[in-house]
Amino acid sequence: MNNVIEAKGLTKRYSNTIAVDNIDLNIPEGRIVGLIGPNGAGKTSALKAILGLATYDGHLSVLGKSPSRDRAALMEDVCFIADVAVLPRWIRVWQLIELTEKIHPKFSRDKCLQYLSSTKVTLEHRVKQLSKGMVAQLHLAIVMAIDVKLLVLDEPTLGLDILFRKQFYTNLLNDYFDEQRTILITTHQVEEIEHILSDLIFIQDGRIALDSSMDDVQQRYSELMVPPDMAAAARELQPMNERELFGRHIFLFEDANRMQLKELGEVRTPSVADLFVAIMNGGES
Amino acid sequence: MNRLMALMKREFWENKGAFRTTPLVIGGIFLAAMVMFLVTFNHFDNEFQSLKELLRFVAQQDVELRDQILYAANLEMSVFFSMVLAFVVFFYLLGSLYDDRKDRSILFWKSLPASDTLTLGSKLLSAMFLAPFIFWVVYVITHIVIMLLFSVVILILGENPWTLFLSLGSPFEVWSLVLVSYFTNSIWLLPLYGWLMLVSAFAPRIPLLFAILPPVILGVLELWIDFLQTFTLNDNLFGLFGRWFANSPLIMSGDEHDNGFGAAIGIPIFGDYDHEVTVANMFDRIFSTDMLIGLAIAAVFLGGALWLRRRATES
Repeated sequence: MNNVIEAKGLTKRYSNTIAVDNIDLNIPEGRIVGLIGPNGAGKTSALKAILGLATYDGHLSVLGKSPSRDRAALMEDVCFIADVAVLPRWIRVWQLIELTEKIHPKFSRDKCLQYLSSTKVTLEHRVKQLSKGMVAQLHLAIVMAIDVKLLVLDEPTLGLDILFRKQFYTNLLNDYFDEQRTILITTHQVEEIEHILSDLIFIQDGRIALDSSMDDVQQRYSELMVPPDMAAAARELQPMNERELFGRHIFLFEDANRMQLKELGEVRTPSVADLFVAIMNGGES
Repeated sequence: MNRLMALMKREFWENKGAFRTTPLVIGGIFLAAMVMFLVTFNHFDNEFQSLKELLRFVAQQDVELRDQILYAANLEMSVFFSMVLAFVVFFYLLGSLYDDRKDRSILFWKSLPASDTLTLGSKLLSAMFLAPFIFWVVYVITHIVIMLLFSVVILILGENPWTLFLSLGSPFEVWSLVLVSYFTNSIWLLPLYGWLMLVSAFAPRIPLLFAILPPVILGVLELWIDFLQTFTLNDNLFGLFGRWFANSPLIMSGDEHDNGFGAAIGIPIFGDYDHEVTVANMFDRIFSTDMLIGLAIAAVFLGGALWLRRRATES
């Protein structure tokens, strides 16, 4: 399978900090990858390097091109939503569509209009007249009407209400995604995207803390819930993490024997959010 | 080419107020002034009792003199348009690489497959040719409307507008001269335009301040050092700016010529160039050594602006 993104020793330095520290990364095509990390972990710096928006050290190839040298050419096959509400505020919707059509060879006006028809956005609207949610819908309609190989979404739903967020990801999955495309998403609202992800990358202090497919994650990690009197027994099996909820103890195990765990209590696959907390805390200690 | 046209269209849409509404307002002011003049003429304490008398008097004057005065007046009608155009272009360029950084829409523009060079080029070309062209079109239309209005009034008063003024003053020649002067002036001012774009790409805030302060501080320092050394005020940065503007190929003042008084290009206070309004004199300026130096300076500024634009999303 072809790798859409290949990074080797990718490093991003600011004057006195290292935002991305010598990362190796391979993202094959046809995946939906969640790039997850705490604030300031280097997510945005890594994305900016991938999109040709910032300089970097090390080797980086996106669809066989160098983002820092060929940004314009790369953008024919890569699309991104960098943040909510970055569409120019003065522009009218029809102007935005006409511009994108003239500048982007892979944009389909019909598709875009079709997506927009299910929203309240009209062609005569100016972006500044739209609500935050409508701007996001408009941006997504434009992006989904562009036939690219890689779509990068950096906090695409920040500040939107739950209805918009759900709709956003439903549209993305149903109308857009297929095996030829790759989607790279960062977000803080992990719970909302974990069901659509095929791969998971945790990043912490500029380094990769976890890089694994969701299938592997489900194999490797198990969550055990036990009453207090069984906690000591569970602790002996060397869990990665322990927390208490409603008087019950919850443990997270890596590569544990599930049969053995089941004797102690209830075993589940951990949520990405819980896994994230466990790995991030482990990394710090 | 298609992309460049699309990007220039975007500049037009974003700056419709400055590029289109502004010249229309100037045209409106001209027409309003003209109508007011016609309506109130009889009430002025004037040596002529009526418009009809004035027309009679004009008709009696020498044809060549009328032609000359009308020619100069036609040229000078462009000056108001040109002055406002200069302000429009100045502030347009100052915001050209700043506004989308401020409202972060640069992140959208950079997600389109248009290179930074093309984007910068579309903005520079909009300032050099698109805005002047629109101003020129409105100037010509205003001129034509004024001529039509006058003709109707003259016809009503029983005089012949053709012999009186329509056949005189070479309007087509004037319009061409103004257009050439706009375009050559855009080339002549390239170092300034480059500087404004550089500042626009650089300024963390208030680009106007960053555009004006450095040259003023440099100029004052230079004056002061000069003065300390020689106790005279010779050539300096301010003098250089003054000379550059006075020598510009833009029609902006009057001057005495061999054949009387007429419009002039630039301000005829330096003897470096001929200030008579001819295409040859305009071309003299943009095919000069001064221009070569100016182009070199512009290239440095624009190169800097491009470098900064590439890194505008860095943090």
